Amino acid sequence: MVEGKAEKPVYIYINGDNVEIRDASHVWGKLVSETEDTLRKEVGVDRARIACIGPAGENLSLIAAVMNDKARAAGRCGVGAVMGSKNLKAVVVVGSKGAPTPADREKFMQVVREKVNKLRNDPVAGGGAPKYGTAVLVNIINENGLYPHRNFQTSVFAHAYDQSGEAMAAKYLVRNKPCFACPIGCARVNKLFYLKEEVEGPEYETVWAFGSDLGINDLHTIILANHLCNELGFDTISAGTTLACAMELFEKGYIKPEELGDEPPLRFGNTEVPIYYLPKMAFRQGFGAKMADGSYRLAESYGHPELSMSAKKLELPAYDPRVAQGLGLQYATCNRGGDHIKGYMISPEILGYPRKFDPQDDSEGKIEMVKEFQETTALVDAMGLCIFTMFGLWIEDYKDLLNAFFGWDLSVEDCLRIGERIWNLERAFNIKAGLTKADDTLPKRLLEEAVPEGPHKGSVCRLEKTLPVYYKLRGWNEDGTIPESKLSELGLEWYK
Amino acid sequence: MVKVKLFATLAQIARKRMVEVEATTASELLEKLSQIYGEEFRKELEGGMIFLVNGINIEHLDGLNTPLKDGDTVSIFPPIGGG
Repeated sequence: MVEGKAEKPVYIYINGDNVEIRDASHVWGKLVSETEDTLRKEVGVDRARIACIGPAGENLSLIAAVMNDKARAAGRCGVGAVMGSKNLKAVVVVGSKGAPTPADREKFMQVVREKVNKLRNDPVAGGGAPKYGTAVLVNIINENGLYPHRNFQTSVFAHAYDQSGEAMAAKYLVRNKPCFACPIGCARVNKLFYLKEEVEGPEYETVWAFGSDLGINDLHTIILANHLCNELGFDTISAGTTLACAMELFEKGYIKPEELGDEPPLRFGNTEVPIYYLPKMAFRQGFGAKMADGSYRLAESYGHPELSMSAKKLELPAYDPRVAQGLGLQYATCNRGGDHIKGYMISPEILGYPRKFDPQDDSEGKIEMVKEFQETTALVDAMGLCIFTMFGLWIEDYKDLLNAFFGWDLSVEDCLRIGERIWNLERAFNIKAGLTKADDTLPKRLLEEAVPEGPHKGSVCRLEKTLPVYYKLRGWNEDGTIPESKLSELGLEWYK
Repeated sequence: MVKVKLFATLAQIARKRMVEVEATTASELLEKLSQIYGEEFRKELEGGMIFLVNGINIEHLDGLNTPLKDGDTVSIFPPIGGG
């Protein structure tokens, strides 16, 4: 826990049991990769791991990320601004102790091998994901008619293929870069011929945020925009979606050309926009200053908050909730706001696992699936595992891993209960912070304006139907608060 | 004719992203494609697939018996994931 604020820029250096707060004024204002290289050299340990912020976090942008290993991000909700507000540039860690010991090492390793094999033999985790990366989703999401385009004004993009995982592999891919010990290995390393270094990413969400959502089909621009976000320390979903919102405000005449002066016009499809404005946003310069705190603050400042495609002020990811009803409910109820990864309903609604559901189904069975997905994801997050393992594993598998490691005898129900407890604790925190049922919603466009084209033309997100059923299934009150009896049942009565 | 769009490994095996085929049901279409593109293609389909007719998954229509008509667009994917 880091409390308070340093007087001048610092970084925290942890080496075994030794903790130091060191001066960071020499890296303040530096990009992420330079910061990492400088601090790693300074502590003199090659295997030091570093989490740091870029200029976006230093300048307290509400869409700033905490960056790790140069190109991996704790991206959402503006956590980079929290570090920035403490004048904390980085945390550098050198571990000296081994991993914790399992209750029964032999048994644990046997279960791990079994689950790793399951992932390796899975057609997604062991096939499509490593071969084409996460952007393999571009085409299937577009063909299903839920690939948002031009700030969710429609959800089909005619040029989607040009930015797909297949196109990336053909045009720019150098190699995969698996995270530590990962049997999936989906991450991409790409090369733009004029850059000295290879760059990591982009992932699917980023491809969409700087591609279809901005009306841009040019993968080269997307790769560069992703690289800029990594170096400046931005969340790519929020940064791209904020630009999409600005483009719609410009298209509708709310942002006047005079206001931009000689800065690039915010026209959909203008590839100069992300490359020019991302640094301006990070340093709060020119019109970038207006966009530095995300789409909601931007749209609100023009009197049109409804044009921010966000939930609880967090920008929505790359799937139109008017088509996938379960995902719409997930967006609206996710404790951290408009987020896909805490209950990835695209899996059952479009990709077909762990069970197949029609995306337009809004029955109780679907809503139970949302709840189960949220519970399972909360458990997987708490275990410190990547949620992409959920393409090949499910709750029974995570149960086996936990039991083997700790020597426990948990049932599937016990595991779901752990997830439910986490979900309710987060909800209770939000309620205490002032959030109400009114915050469990989506932009007016997605609830009222029908999808204008594609296979689901005419559809809206039917949240008014699904939300009350969801509250009921969760055992919550009609106003979205948690009854004391529910808190006690989950052993959370202490949280007031 | 039915317009067929192939993706990921299926496009790689067929060396084509788009093809036009005469077929009246989903299963007939798959059989014809397997004849055209051979054993490797057939094997890939056996590993599972996502089959859309005009953007709707046949799982939510009539499965492999889903009828096809002139001018329909079919999109076929191997199992994929991401996000």
